[in-house]
Amino acid sequence: MVLPRYAWRRLYEQRLVILLTMAAFVWPLLCAGFIYLTNHVELLQGLEPEFREFIQVDGRFFSIFMYVQAICAVFLAALAGPGLVAPDLANNALPLYFSRPLTRWSYALARLTVIVGMLSVVTWIPGLVLFALQVGLAGGWWFVANWTLGAGMVVGFLLWLLVLGLVAMASSAYVKWRIVAGAVSLAFFFILSGVSAMIDEVFRVTWGHVLDPAWSVNRVWCTLLGVDPPEGPGVGASLVALSAFIVLLVAVIERKLRPVEVIR
Amino acid sequence: MDNTAVVELENLKVKLGRREILHGITCRLGVSGKGKAVGLLGPNGAGKSTLILTLLGFHRPSAGRARILGMDCRRSMGEARSRIGYMPENDSFIGEMTAVTFLRQMAELSGLPPKAALEKAHEVLFHVGLGESRYRELRTYSYGMKQMAKLAQAIVHGPELVVLDEPTNGLDPAARRRMLKLVTDMKAEQGMNVLVCSHLLRDIEQVCDEAVILKDGAIVHHCNLEEERRSNRSFVELEVTGDDQNLRMALPEIGAEGVSEGSGRWRIVLPAGVEVEAIWGLTARQNLLVRKLTHRRDTLEEIFLKAMGHLAHTPGESAAL
Repeated sequence: MVLPRYAWRRLYEQRLVILLTMAAFVWPLLCAGFIYLTNHVELLQGLEPEFREFIQVDGRFFSIFMYVQAICAVFLAALAGPGLVAPDLANNALPLYFSRPLTRWSYALARLTVIVGMLSVVTWIPGLVLFALQVGLAGGWWFVANWTLGAGMVVGFLLWLLVLGLVAMASSAYVKWRIVAGAVSLAFFFILSGVSAMIDEVFRVTWGHVLDPAWSVNRVWCTLLGVDPPEGPGVGASLVALSAFIVLLVAVIERKLRPVEVIR
Repeated sequence: MDNTAVVELENLKVKLGRREILHGITCRLGVSGKGKAVGLLGPNGAGKSTLILTLLGFHRPSAGRARILGMDCRRSMGEARSRIGYMPENDSFIGEMTAVTFLRQMAELSGLPPKAALEKAHEVLFHVGLGESRYRELRTYSYGMKQMAKLAQAIVHGPELVVLDEPTNGLDPAARRRMLKLVTDMKAEQGMNVLVCSHLLRDIEQVCDEAVILKDGAIVHHCNLEEERRSNRSFVELEVTGDDQNLRMALPEIGAEGVSEGSGRWRIVLPAGVEVEAIWGLTARQNLLVRKLTHRRDTLEEIFLKAMGHLAHTPGESAAL
């Protein structure tokens, strides 16, 4: 845990990271207020029955919470993620790490742990707090009926964080310059989203969606939270596409995170 | 008594892509725990860096075996690395870190507990002369300071073997002297074994006890510099005026051998125990006027040039022929 400890310290020395992390707590706080409201019927007396029906803490509520936090996580990963790997490559520090009892995989895992840990603070941890708040206010019966929402949220977020972490690491392994690497990791999602939409339009198909990792993760979330999925390929195809993305990103990291570059 | 070699290579072959860089090297370098330095010499492209990187486990041997401190470079790399310090040739650091944090992290990565790592970081930074600037970020350091910081990170965990890749590259004469003194102290005072890779022959000659010369991925010369210094390769370059025809016959009187190069110039090999004063006495008895007398040994440069094929014989060998 030596590398994550030092990386964590360096990470929170950046003011922008702290500011963005704090900003990412606004939405969970609003959601907490919402949960409080839905569990206090006396406060909802004057509202229309349809509206009272609409504001329920269910899969749809958690999916909306997850969308917003997922977007925050994208920006946080693009801002802080490359700073963990790019400086090591730019300063040629990898030979120093790998001449010690540290393998390439343990180095990559340590960096990934830091990114996933940092993003967990604004994703599944506040999500679990909201879930616990709802259980506390609604009672044990709500937990028994909806525990899958909590589990689905944690699993869904972890899948998203894995993708974000690998994209941030792969882009910084390629670009080496922190700011550009951040821009590349943002562009990765926007460009793939655009490409998938273009394929769907040009060929009049829906399978192009799976080329957009954000869409694929969203499709998995819909299944995990039991909400209506968007039109397009099923959860199986989305999982296969995500697995392919992950393998590709791991291959990029494996290729670039080497102590010495061999010119063949 | 432990006679484990610091580096032991058995028919080591390394391929990078389709190109074979090291062609079956076999040798034993140094003796573990003796505090000796081994120099690795060779022209550019000889395979010095490839050999070092293979020993560190960065390249995989395509055949043969490499052992460091008795540990196989593939099977026991983790354990071996905790006992090695490595100073790379190029700039290698984390610019945003202060020197003390950088060293502490590196020491912890090598297995030292956090508190001990911090103490060692301070101690080593003072030792290499960076004590006053240890709280400065590494990116603000001058080139010479960065070299010292690289050396500091290589020795912060007290390794048994320190691998130095071109340690004096780009240093001014004062910094170079300081670096060589630190290397000499490391082996003399702390008993560390040192493997120095350099193209600066004077540096190797100054700090090393053994030298290996690589050419085209093979060892072309392996010499024990300590023995070379003690050996009878001491010779005299002599220039005299007068009739020197009898000098050759007279040299055995003092146990020496020599060869005339014409025009009164001689190369004379002195056996062990015979001092240069004997030549003065001999030339006086032969009524020769000494115009020039140089007492020297084969330098590492001459040994190197011979190994590279640029010299048929070193001056000492020429004198002995």
